[in-house]
Amino acid sequence: MSNPYRLWEIQGRSNTGPFCDEDEFLPKIFAPRLREIVNKYEIKYDPKTPVPTDDKMADRIWQAGWELFREVGLYNTDTHRIIKLSDEEITEALYATSDRYWVGAGKDAVLWKHRSVEDTEPPFCIYSPDCTCSEELFYSYCLAFLKEPLLDGFCAPILEESMGQLIRSASPFEINGCTEHIYKMRLAAKQVGRPGTFFVAVGTAEHDTGQIAVSNNDWGVRTTDSRIIGTLTEFKTADTLLNRAVHCAQYGCYSGNLTGPIYGGWCGGSEGVAVALVAYSLNGLCIYGTQYNQHFPFHLNWGSNTTRELLWPISMAGQAMARNSKLLYTSNGFANAGPMTEMLFYETACHALVSVVTGWHLWEMASTRNKFRNRATPLEARLGMEVGHAVARQGMKRGQANEIALKLLSKYEANAGDAPKGAEYQECYDVAKANPTQEHYDMYRKVKDEVAKLGVEFPF
Amino acid sequence: MSLEELCKAVETGDQDKGKDLAQKLVEGGTDPLQIIAALTKVMDEIGEKFARLEIFLPEMMMSGEAMSKVVGVLTPHLKAGGGGEPKGKVVLGTVKGDLHEIGKNIVKLMLQVGFFEVRDIGVDADPITFIKQAEEFGADIIGASSLMTTTMPHQKEMIDILKDEGKRDKYKVVIGGAPTTVEWAEEIGADLYAPDAGSAAKLFTDLLKK
Repeated sequence: MSNPYRLWEIQGRSNTGPFCDEDEFLPKIFAPRLREIVNKYEIKYDPKTPVPTDDKMADRIWQAGWELFREVGLYNTDTHRIIKLSDEEITEALYATSDRYWVGAGKDAVLWKHRSVEDTEPPFCIYSPDCTCSEELFYSYCLAFLKEPLLDGFCAPILEESMGQLIRSASPFEINGCTEHIYKMRLAAKQVGRPGTFFVAVGTAEHDTGQIAVSNNDWGVRTTDSRIIGTLTEFKTADTLLNRAVHCAQYGCYSGNLTGPIYGGWCGGSEGVAVALVAYSLNGLCIYGTQYNQHFPFHLNWGSNTTRELLWPISMAGQAMARNSKLLYTSNGFANAGPMTEMLFYETACHALVSVVTGWHLWEMASTRNKFRNRATPLEARLGMEVGHAVARQGMKRGQANEIALKLLSKYEANAGDAPKGAEYQECYDVAKANPTQEHYDMYRKVKDEVAKLGVEFPF
Repeated sequence: MSLEELCKAVETGDQDKGKDLAQKLVEGGTDPLQIIAALTKVMDEIGEKFARLEIFLPEMMMSGEAMSKVVGVLTPHLKAGGGGEPKGKVVLGTVKGDLHEIGKNIVKLMLQVGFFEVRDIGVDADPITFIKQAEEFGADIIGASSLMTTTMPHQKEMIDILKDEGKRDKYKVVIGGAPTTVEWAEEIGADLYAPDAGSAAKLFTDLLKK
């Protein structure tokens, strides 16, 4: 069976679930319940071990996430009611879902499978800069990413303008921007000879109308592609998001549940973030009916997830889900530093290494915390994916990954709060040819060689 | 019953105890301004701990809520003594098309404990709603948050409408949110870019002095 799971029974709970004043949901229901659950399951963060090997704690985090999802549910801000599921329903959904999907089309189709802890199968690699970009650079960006050899899926940058006009969410300009977005992705994929590449599109659409407008198997987002459906932080949804879930199900394309639990926010610390990641994954499966989850936990002050207080929950939640489910989930890196800085390469390598050894697939890389226009490139993502492939192929164990992660952290962690912004795409890429400049490539190669000396056995 | 106990109640987020102690203290003759001064120091320390993430949002919000309740108890006494006027009135919301609220809600709390009166108009707020609410509330400041690049133009749209209606000088406009920058604030003609919640009360206070 493919998701969505019991679509209309679940959707109906937006109208029939327990009523709750929105002001009360997070402070009175979510936060205290999460705190109780973290204590009940004796979940303890250890800053000295970004990659723990505690299988029992991983299993407790799975149970804790399950309990959180069952007890708290998902709050619909439009109806002020909570969508909840029973243990029986969660169990049924986990049984019925598939552990693998063919995505993309033709010769470019890829089988995307569930991974286990210390799996020797390489991760599924989705390249995404996660940033906004200038309209005149968008096409070059698409070409540059689609030329990446390890690319299994591609999510293009977000357009800020279309035809020289600012894109305003939920307006006709957004629909126009979405059309431009997908047409240029399609053309770029054809030009580089990968026309069937799996797309996650379109990021320019903040509103459901923009997404739905470009569903088209001839020129638009195909049924072999995917959409992302966000969950509002924390554990809230809205009709505009549920509209997307229904549309994806009925159109027949793939979908992923996008979540960003915040370290320091309503989840509290690292332990709460780990539990929330598991609970969000069950939300994606059961309520949105998604085939995968796309997680980007991040630091409240920095907006990044490459420091140890975020690597720990990534690592633990990955192991929890790998050991107890057949779910698919991508680890979305958010780095502090910007392009063409050594710090960004170290951050990306560390994030990829920790994620892959603990069961995740990769979604790299939101450079400069995805805050600045044009400040992300394919080259940092390339290093991350190469690390991911190497870690899997060599059968790296968590203990070794932990040692390497600590060495990498020592190179950048102290600068997390004040990281360099680096360069913009056009300053470190040849825009016409969509290739990195020599200076940029040399920096990538230097860091890659250093990472190799730490014990990462790159195939090339 | 002591001021120290009240400070502890606010620090631990015990709303009922805080209200009760504040009432008893003020009835026992303690100067409400002295109470406010002590609690302001407590909240400053909590704010600093939160900024360093030595405590997390739930704890900070609980303290803030307790502080708000205590201020509610003290306000009539402050007004009777000729003090306790708010520093300013703020209409605060997340712009149209944007459903994110966490940053806006932290700013709201920081402003409230910093003695601003805040009218929260929620998320997905139309530019006209910001302006109408500011008119009705008699606001000094309009604060507009955006977390998505494609919703940032609604911050500009609101300022443009204020200009078109000849009301631009009536309000100070503050913008914030993850994708926004000081450059964007300057480009669209906002009066202030608020980079984080922690500095909001101070920046808003300084803005009103200009």
